[in-house]
Amino acid sequence: MSKKITTRLSALSVAVTAAMAGLTVPALGQASETEWAGFVENATYIRDGRGLTKFRNTAQAEWSRQLQPVGAFSEVSFHGTLRATYDGVYDLNKNEFGEDAGGSVIIESVGLPAMGGPSFVPHGGGLGNTAVAGAFGLTNNAFVDDYGSRNPNDGMIVLGEELHEQGGGVAFGVPVRPCDVDSRGCLSGYLDQDTDDLRYPEFNDRWDVLREAYVDATMDLDSGSQLNFRVGRQQIVWGRTDLFRVLDVINPVDYSRNNIYDELEDIRIPMWILQSELRMGPTGVFDDLNWSVMWNFDKFRPSNLGSCSGAYNILDGACFFRGMKNLWDNGGTVANFAGNGTLATNFGPHQIGIRDVELPSWSLANTQLGTKLEGVYRDLTFSLNALTYRSQLPSLRGGTTIKDQIINPFTGELQSDGVPYLIAFDMVFPRVNLIGGSMDYYAEGIDTVIRMEAAYTEGEEFADTLSKDLYSESDVFRFVIGADKNIMIPALNKSRAFLFSAQIFGEHLLDHRAETATLGETGFAAWKSNHIATLLMKGWWMNDRLSPQLIMAHDFRAGATAVAPSVEWLADDNWKVTLTANVKFGDGARKTDDCRSCNPYDPFTNYGTAEHAGGTAGSAGLSGFEPTGRFRSGPIGMAQREDEIQLTVRYRF
Amino acid sequence: MMKKAYLSLAIAALSPTAMAVTLQDVENSFYPYKNGAPQVDGLSVGMVINKDNVEQFKANLDPAMYRFIAAGNYEMKVGATTSFDLHPNYVEATKARLGKVKLGEKVGQIEGADAGRPFVAEPDMNDPRAGEKLAWNFKYGYNWGDSAAIMPFYWKFRNMGTGKVERTLKFNFHFLNYTHRVNQDPKPALTPNPSNLFRGTYVQVVEPFDVKNTQLLIHRYEDDLKRDNAYLYLGFQRRVRRLSTGQVTDAFLGSDIMIEDFEGYNGRISDMNWSYKGTRNILMPFYNHNDMALDTETHKDQDGYQVVAFTGQGGCFPDITWQVRKVYELESASVDKNHPIGKRSHFVDAQTFTIPRTVSYDRKGDMWKTFTIGQSHPDFHLPANKGTGVSIDDSFSMIDLQANHCTTGQFKGQVDPTLSPAKKFTVQNLRASGR
Repeated sequence: MSKKITTRLSALSVAVTAAMAGLTVPALGQASETEWAGFVENATYIRDGRGLTKFRNTAQAEWSRQLQPVGAFSEVSFHGTLRATYDGVYDLNKNEFGEDAGGSVIIESVGLPAMGGPSFVPHGGGLGNTAVAGAFGLTNNAFVDDYGSRNPNDGMIVLGEELHEQGGGVAFGVPVRPCDVDSRGCLSGYLDQDTDDLRYPEFNDRWDVLREAYVDATMDLDSGSQLNFRVGRQQIVWGRTDLFRVLDVINPVDYSRNNIYDELEDIRIPMWILQSELRMGPTGVFDDLNWSVMWNFDKFRPSNLGSCSGAYNILDGACFFRGMKNLWDNGGTVANFAGNGTLATNFGPHQIGIRDVELPSWSLANTQLGTKLEGVYRDLTFSLNALTYRSQLPSLRGGTTIKDQIINPFTGELQSDGVPYLIAFDMVFPRVNLIGGSMDYYAEGIDTVIRMEAAYTEGEEFADTLSKDLYSESDVFRFVIGADKNIMIPALNKSRAFLFSAQIFGEHLLDHRAETATLGETGFAAWKSNHIATLLMKGWWMNDRLSPQLIMAHDFRAGATAVAPSVEWLADDNWKVTLTANVKFGDGARKTDDCRSCNPYDPFTNYGTAEHAGGTAGSAGLSGFEPTGRFRSGPIGMAQREDEIQLTVRYRF
Repeated sequence: MMKKAYLSLAIAALSPTAMAVTLQDVENSFYPYKNGAPQVDGLSVGMVINKDNVEQFKANLDPAMYRFIAAGNYEMKVGATTSFDLHPNYVEATKARLGKVKLGEKVGQIEGADAGRPFVAEPDMNDPRAGEKLAWNFKYGYNWGDSAAIMPFYWKFRNMGTGKVERTLKFNFHFLNYTHRVNQDPKPALTPNPSNLFRGTYVQVVEPFDVKNTQLLIHRYEDDLKRDNAYLYLGFQRRVRRLSTGQVTDAFLGSDIMIEDFEGYNGRISDMNWSYKGTRNILMPFYNHNDMALDTETHKDQDGYQVVAFTGQGGCFPDITWQVRKVYELESASVDKNHPIGKRSHFVDAQTFTIPRTVSYDRKGDMWKTFTIGQSHPDFHLPANKGTGVSIDDSFSMIDLQANHCTTGQFKGQVDPTLSPAKKFTVQNLRASGR
């Protein structure tokens, strides 16, 4: 139960936020009521085969306070939210997700048995300097015989091992211990969580413990409209759909909490934003009209994809990036690479992998701007949206974009101008421009609410093996159509209808390209078009104190399905217990062109296919699960082995 | 068959009875106790009706209340019948339109009713549309006046068997008439009003934390044939969702009340078939708030205001006095055969045209729920409400007889236009007031 207390609000907090709003500080020295509420919560999740994946203990407090009017601003208020978390899984199950995680790995080498060797070799046991020099006379080659203590075969997993076998494709070891325990593969400033970052995720240099803090100020205009400003750390929510982020893209998202399954409310990462709204109310033919402008002036933050040391990392992306960064920094054994994709190969530093992450620094040009016109016209509510922002998901630019540091592994030479089709990358966050809209409508004839949301973006980048830089821009059209229907089933509950909510999400890459090459398909790793359907069924008994629900999601192209039945029990106004299962089915890992057959260093990497005739670089289409099959498996397919039972107990005050 | 029905409706709408209303009818309608209160043999002010004497007064109780008292669930204290005079501007608006109001061809159509009470003549059992006229009088009644707020408004979910309070929800409710305004400026209507809204209802959940910031906005149109638009803002999603009709007949936030139950009936005239069942003198929950036993725990504020206490089985009954009042018994049955309720018997107070008692039956015909809305005289309530001429909704109890469960409501009703400005009744306000 929320409380009201008479107090003096922290002078600092008021001063900071008021100063941002360009306001004087009227409330200082004046006592007034502050409303506050909050909760403490324990979330304990158990994963099949991994044991404890979450023992998260959260304390959250929210408060709001009306301030005195300031000048023309008749309504002024301050709101804040603090959240602090300790996740004990890194202390209680450290063999899986902490300082003792991982171990030694073995890497597939499918061609080795034909030479009398084993089909798997340990990390460091692939084709190295000596063998290459001996076999080809390339005495200056930069392959590696032994990684030594710089990159030991310890504290590692094989990329994707939870989901799939190496399967004749690319695989390599990924360090999985927190970055304070093992710094290998840790990017600078992104996905580089140390143990305490994982244990206490809000206590970081971006002060995430201060989840929200903003001042709201509204002035009445002579026209009858209102002009509102909201400034501070906040979430801004666009759109009308559940689960999917078509328009709701202003705040980045923290997928490390529970992949895609937590409420966006809890996983949006609040940003320092100024929003101004002109609330016109009823005007002209509109029953309600509102125009808002949003300026996200915070330093750029990407979405948190999780950590390879943690239990939740969407698309297994954090492991992919860490493994690739380790390859760049220290080299590593890559499965089934040399010998036309048959021999585990010991790459050295600065040959393949991820070189760097380019996080946009703060500058005016790097801030983000959006506008929305929203209203009600007869039975239709609608919005028109436009936004220019930075992609919150990284793009990997490779090939010729990586200059000055590439070492040719065959010759040991520096490739100053970069190498076309080379799988060495920088991680960037390109600017994206979005236009879109949303609407909802009640269809009386079928007693169903129809919701729609669509967005068209330009500037997004996708992995593309037809590009010499291994990425291409594509305009993207995304949409969601949802239908909500309440159905009374008197035999089950005569006083409370059941909610059935279905959605179909579509994503279409308008500049997608794909070609059939000698060894397989080349081009974009992502699907050209894909759809995901969701269905929510929810019922209520005991005056809404007992509420079972079933959420299902199916990714059509990935052939992946998630089913999440849960039961929520409100013992009273304070205690809530939620028991959830999260189970996935489907085809699992998907194969895509992995660019082993891209022939960056002709003649050494020439597969003898038509694509490589005359020494041409470009992919012949050899494919495997890694590294880009994840873009086809999607977040559901990539988490197929992450079936869980989840128990959450919350006490509200 | 259809033609016949329309013909009879049309004849009824144009019947001489409808045309021949007089100022005396207005007087009789608004001041039924001018010549004295109704008398019931053996009943006197101050006595208590309980299971021992309830048979004697069965004719003066609605069937659900009779059942409760007979079962020993509640003892009813009898108060003096008092006149709840509505605001004179509303009465004057009625007079100004006397004889100019008539029903349209279809149920839900009306002409000439832009303010005041549409039909002041006594209902006639021979008038096939008498029930519909009573329903219009309720819809266009003075109810909360031109605007009002219930701030705060406590709902308690109670196990009627054990008395355990399972949940306490704290709301703010706001009401605004866009049209039919007789007292608060601007009159007679707010402008602009592009869709010709009649009334807005805005609800905000203050507590507890799991539903905090949930908001409900209902837009009702002047055209009764047009379905309401309703919007729900969910705090945990920070989004506005459109409500379907199915949710209007759903248990609201787990209470025993559906949105359609608000204020006695919160739907369109055209959603129901209406039947006038007769006029009776029965005991109704009308009282002076300040004279009642009040709950000293639930609400405390700087005004010293306290809410009505609850008593009886499971704490499901308001601890108030009841008055013998002139009541029109009005039955509604949904046009939609899938409606969860088979029919409702509304006991409409003849003077105020509020609906303080309703008994609902399920589709099998079994008694299901019973709704009490306690009415306080505004002159014996908050000082600010004095002289407002609004019969103040002051307490409620919705009992689910089949589930042996109830939801009770404790109000701080405030007739203050500054609490319910038009800007509160916009979709954008849901977002702005959320987070």
